[in-house]
Amino acid sequence: MKAKVFEIKKFAVHDGDGIRTTIFFKGCPLKCVWCHNPEGLSSKTQLAYYSHKCINCFECVKICPNNAHIINNGIHEYVAKNCINCGKCEEICLGNAIKIYGKDYTVDELLKIVLEDKVFYDNSGGGVTLSGGECLLYANFIKDLFIKLKNHGINTAVDTCGFIGKDQIDKIIDYTDVFLYDFKAYTSKTHKNCTGQSNDIIIKNLEYLDKKGKNIEIRIPYVPNYNDFEIEDMIKYLNGIKNITKIRILPYHNFSTAKYQSLNYENTMPSVVPTNEEIENIKNTLRKISIHKIVD
Amino acid sequence: MEYISDKDYNYIMNKHHDQSKPFNSLSRFVRNDELFDENTGLDPNFILENIMINDEKYKEFSHGIRKAKALEYVLSNTRISCDSRDVFPAINLIDRPLNKTIVRSWHREVFLDIIPEVENERLRLINDGIAQIYIDYDHSVPNFERLFNLGFVGLLEESEKIRNSKERNSEEDAFFESIKISYEAVLLFIKRLYNLASETEGSQKMAKALKTLLNGAPKTFYEAMLLVYLYFMISEYVDSLQVRSLSNFDKFFYKFYLNDLKNGITEDEIRKDLAKFFLQFTAIDNYWNQPVFLGGEYEGGKTIINELSYLFLDVYDKMNIYNPKIQIKLCYSTPKEFTLKALDMIRRGHSSIVFVCEPTIKEALMKRGYTEEQARDCNVKGCFEFSVQESFGCGGTSLNLLKPLEYTLHKGHDAVNNAFSGIESPDLSKYKTFEDFYNEYKRQLKGVIDLSINLVNKYEAYLSYINPQSLLAGTFKTSLDLVKDPMQGGSTGNGSGLSFGAIADLVDSLSMIKKYVYDKKELSLTELVNMLDNNFVGNENWLLKLKNDRDKFGNNKDLPDNFAIDIIEYLDKVVRPNLNEKSRGGRWGYSFHVARAVYALANNTATSPNGRLIGEELSKNFSASMGQNREGATAAILSTTKMDAVKVCGDVPLDLGLLPSAIKGEDGLEAMYGLLITFLKRKGHAIHFNVFDAETLRDAQKNPEKYQDLQIRVSGWNVLWNNINKVEQDGFIKQAESLI
Repeated sequence: MKAKVFEIKKFAVHDGDGIRTTIFFKGCPLKCVWCHNPEGLSSKTQLAYYSHKCINCFECVKICPNNAHIINNGIHEYVAKNCINCGKCEEICLGNAIKIYGKDYTVDELLKIVLEDKVFYDNSGGGVTLSGGECLLYANFIKDLFIKLKNHGINTAVDTCGFIGKDQIDKIIDYTDVFLYDFKAYTSKTHKNCTGQSNDIIIKNLEYLDKKGKNIEIRIPYVPNYNDFEIEDMIKYLNGIKNITKIRILPYHNFSTAKYQSLNYENTMPSVVPTNEEIENIKNTLRKISIHKIVD
Repeated sequence: MEYISDKDYNYIMNKHHDQSKPFNSLSRFVRNDELFDENTGLDPNFILENIMINDEKYKEFSHGIRKAKALEYVLSNTRISCDSRDVFPAINLIDRPLNKTIVRSWHREVFLDIIPEVENERLRLINDGIAQIYIDYDHSVPNFERLFNLGFVGLLEESEKIRNSKERNSEEDAFFESIKISYEAVLLFIKRLYNLASETEGSQKMAKALKTLLNGAPKTFYEAMLLVYLYFMISEYVDSLQVRSLSNFDKFFYKFYLNDLKNGITEDEIRKDLAKFFLQFTAIDNYWNQPVFLGGEYEGGKTIINELSYLFLDVYDKMNIYNPKIQIKLCYSTPKEFTLKALDMIRRGHSSIVFVCEPTIKEALMKRGYTEEQARDCNVKGCFEFSVQESFGCGGTSLNLLKPLEYTLHKGHDAVNNAFSGIESPDLSKYKTFEDFYNEYKRQLKGVIDLSINLVNKYEAYLSYINPQSLLAGTFKTSLDLVKDPMQGGSTGNGSGLSFGAIADLVDSLSMIKKYVYDKKELSLTELVNMLDNNFVGNENWLLKLKNDRDKFGNNKDLPDNFAIDIIEYLDKVVRPNLNEKSRGGRWGYSFHVARAVYALANNTATSPNGRLIGEELSKNFSASMGQNREGATAAILSTTKMDAVKVCGDVPLDLGLLPSAIKGEDGLEAMYGLLITFLKRKGHAIHFNVFDAETLRDAQKNPEKYQDLQIRVSGWNVLWNNINKVEQDGFIKQAESLI
């Protein structure tokens, strides 16, 4: 059994307690307009071409078996339709302009990588977090990975958007210490407007996890003009969820433009970015109405 | 500034040198003559001119007595000042006058007349970028415990008591006489200061403290600080010997602190005096910064950290200064709360705080034969060096590990100036296997090591001839008992040391040669050497390929890390057996911290196989080379702590870069703590966190190739700096600017 992973981030500090390794899985059932990880949207392997980093060394042109890299008027050009995602060009690219998002890993391969930092998890109360995309699309794989991590005494967390079948959650719930749970809007209408999907399932799953007594850390992206007008309602609703350990407000930033360009995606990211002052003010307001701890 | 009024701040900042005049901190001291009343002493230039004339009277005496007489002359005549805006006196110190006169004359006599061949060789090694060699008068620390317990008066009395305990020959008698002259001169100087302070409005507190020191040991927190200040100023700026720590501050000052509180002195007053103490060193502004250390353990494992440790950090934090610099002796017993306080300061920009791991140092020193007590009570000094109490010698010899590589690849010739500087090496075609090549590298390395040790052993025999240490000897019980100068066998620690620079550049280069020449056979050694000799011009793709390769030190990769482990094994074999017993009665050791020498050595170092171009910066300490820690903080710690720091028994420091946004909030602080404790548990030696600021990011934007490892935290996720475009980088720089 293999899973498609687009990033493995060590010394992840804000994805659960302590020092962690976060693994990002490919594929997502939502399409948030502000998505910062567009490379996680598709469940397929993708070649991203960062044109601003290309130094026109043409090493990729020499090695490409399918003419996906050509020279046009003395300048390198990437022809996406010819690409078979073999990854040979990524290995040889001298400008680090080519990145393959989506490599297949077995459970043991990932285990070996995350165990390298076990000493840091042990000394900081950290562990392993699975993120994405939506990692629970790989629930069977995750179950196997988590069982092995538990055998090594490693804390486990999943970062989920919650838009997933309850049966998938059931597969991993007993092996998951913490759920980092995205909460993007209060009303179904707003949620659909922001992500393309209603949040009915998400709310049901959240209440299910609460009923099961799981530790939940809520993550709320704060995006002006998209979900900011509902944020107080979200907090009031969350007051009814008992097992929330903390709520993290994630200020929206539009720092992923280069990724959209590299994947030849339409950039859907909103233009309005909240100021630091605005974020501090909103956090202070929310702290007055929330029964849960709101952290930076 | 917190604790100090603007009026007082301006006075102190201009007291040691006039801030309105150009000041190069490398030149150590530009005095502010205008501050001093001419009735308090002689013109400083007159004093400087008369030191040698005055010395004519003592030609038949030992160098120790002559230098003590010169000290006496300066301290008796230099101008002084007391001012109500400060609680420490001003001294017109004339910019290390003995260094410019008699010490220099003896230095010249030794190196130009007695052993000129040593000087010629020393200069050749420096000019060729092989080594930076200087006499290390910069890493000794007086025995502060004895200084605090006895004061100048008690130290003098004890020296005289030992002197008179048995019959002395003329040499021994001269040794004690030089101490007597020096300490009497210091006391006479304190008397002058006392008289002036007594007559100065607003300086009565200073006068009272000076009177105490005139009669014996300090009794209050302020008096103890005044004692340290006076010892520092006299030793460093008159007697030509740096005071490389202001002591284990919270250990030695705690009793004074408690006593003051008991006697009704308020904590507020203590804080204000401490702030003015700190500000002296901020104002002096030596480029190497003045070290002082906190923490450690008492016998039985009780932490030294106490209320004073917290107060110390609190005052320092609020003053927002970086000089003095602080080392924290980290132990398992160090309270987490204290460590978090220090880490929080570091992440807010106090990069002047570093951690050294006491358990590692303790084990290392005990393996070298010191007792547990000696090992536990060791000094931390300089940047993060350590030694048992009453030690002299650290290592003024910095060797460039890349030079022997040049010799190996060029038949013993220097690749920059083509001089035959190494040992004869064979033609490249003779290196049939990587082992052939690597063994030849080690042979060249040994050649440079033997050359340096032989050279330093020759001149270290003359240390006390050039710059005898009466003031320091008075604080060293070992020196008094053995009747030997601290530099010539009169110390508990008499080791000499080699410091090796560019370890990461070396092991990265070895990795690239093994990988591409011998394993993958993608290019021949001859082709590689041609590329290096041409600075990769015409082979830019190979340059990028070598730079981009991930098998570099600091990333928890076996190939380079195993080379580093093997180099340590080799150095242990070839350096450790050497003795300096004829000159100083000790043994040679080694370490991996070359301080500023890293820049000087780099200038004459050819392009190396890891893609470092000629003249570019060498890798620092035991850290990844510039921009090569691409696997992040945990990998960097894992790589460096694979090294056996206990075996090295010297510096194995790690510089760890972190971005403010990656360690923000409670989670970030806990993560820093997790990194630090892992480093401690894995028996690391010293760790220095670099939390990057906007200025660094601006440089990263201009030179992205140097910052391939730099990550930024973008509200809930991290991205590589180089993976975001300029507009996005500009936004982040702006954000970083607001962090201050």
